[in-house]
Amino acid sequence: MSGLPVTLTVNGRERALDVPATQTLLETLRERLALTGAKRGCNQGVCGACTVMLDGKPVRGCLSLTANCDGAEITTVEGLAEGGALSGIQQAMADSNAVQCGFCTPGMLVSAFAFLREAEAPSVAEIQNALSGNLCRCSGYRKIIDAVRLAADRAARAAS
Amino acid sequence: MTASGSEVAFHRPSTVGEAVALLGGDDGAMCLAGGATLVAMMNAALVAPSGLVSLSAIESLRDAERLSDGSVRIGAMRRHRETAADALLEDGQCVLREAARQIANMPVRNMGTIGGSIAFFDPAADYPPALVAADAVVEISGPDGERAMPAAKFFVGWYETALAPGEIVTAVRLPPAPADSIGLFYKLARVSGDFATASVALVVAMDGQTVTYLAVAVGACGPTPVRLPEIEAELTGKALDDTGIDRLAVVLAEALDPIDDVRASADYRRLVAPRMVRRAITDAAARLGGAS
Repeated sequence: MSGLPVTLTVNGRERALDVPATQTLLETLRERLALTGAKRGCNQGVCGACTVMLDGKPVRGCLSLTANCDGAEITTVEGLAEGGALSGIQQAMADSNAVQCGFCTPGMLVSAFAFLREAEAPSVAEIQNALSGNLCRCSGYRKIIDAVRLAADRAARAAS
Repeated sequence: MTASGSEVAFHRPSTVGEAVALLGGDDGAMCLAGGATLVAMMNAALVAPSGLVSLSAIESLRDAERLSDGSVRIGAMRRHRETAADALLEDGQCVLREAARQIANMPVRNMGTIGGSIAFFDPAADYPPALVAADAVVEISGPDGERAMPAAKFFVGWYETALAPGEIVTAVRLPPAPADSIGLFYKLARVSGDFATASVALVVAMDGQTVTYLAVAVGACGPTPVRLPEIEAELTGKALDDTGIDRLAVVLAEALDPIDDVRASADYRRLVAPRMVRRAITDAAARLGGAS
């Protein structure tokens, strides 16, 4: 297929591909690179299921055009674990049973992961604010917030 | 003119001049800033540009700077995240920072830009009333060169700005605010991250009980932000009391032209907006130590 040459570093691995101008990063990740963690929910930037990190900051995969990401570093939910070990927030989500249907979970994890890198002992209000761009249609927010607090507590204990 | 994905041209120029030339060379081309609005509209099949001119590689559009006269110039490609933390903004100019902090949610603030937001001009967006209250100027480049105009003139009507075809927003410029003024932005939304049901942008300075400067703009309650210099002038130079606060709220409410939409009825907006004005100016007076 003809298209625009783009080079991305996805979860630490360099990927060169040709894409149509209108292909979204979410489409590229899911359909070209078989990274199906990020989900297509609303495709309008509202639900947050497609959230991935672009150069370290959470963005909407569905509102990012791949052609506009040339040279960028992308981290998806598949890239959060290190050396086969779950990241702190992933482990805390599992331990807190913070998953119902699971559709929102990859986006929640990416937003929470980015938030926890900067937050110290976050309050519930701060967690709610940080995750306000990720909708859980099962409405299972309480356990998700519990999981973020648990991850923050564990990180603080590990650091002390 | 529609075009399928593979036929759409994609350009990523490195200067404003090139961007303007590319837009001028294709009537169906559209300008891509942060993507938060344009790509959402493309996904919904509301627009089908024949070409995309991305502004993301134009370094000069990403800067913010304080000019020698105290103005702050914010490049069109500054992300909401950056404006929400912009330490260059001082005194009443902070009204823009307060607005940026309340836009949508973290991932959208990481993407969206001030130029993209105001060029699209959703009347329920947060920047327009803040820019109008701050007396900001919008800088524009186009096929006929550069021009600048007050934000109050730039916002023309529902989703309509003074931009001519082929023109792009390059920056907004906030003049220095009066010394010791403060800027507040109050937003009412159904849920965190939604567009405003109503918003109030306020810049005010006081000397004791006396109002020495006042600018109020109400957002999301009509086709453009509502600001009334006459009532501001009437209250300036006087002690702020309940009568004055009531009059400000009532006169502004009468000037609103809200509609019924998914967020609220027009009647609700007419009731809630004056209460927000009252609360904003009362809180501001308390912060400035001149509470009535």
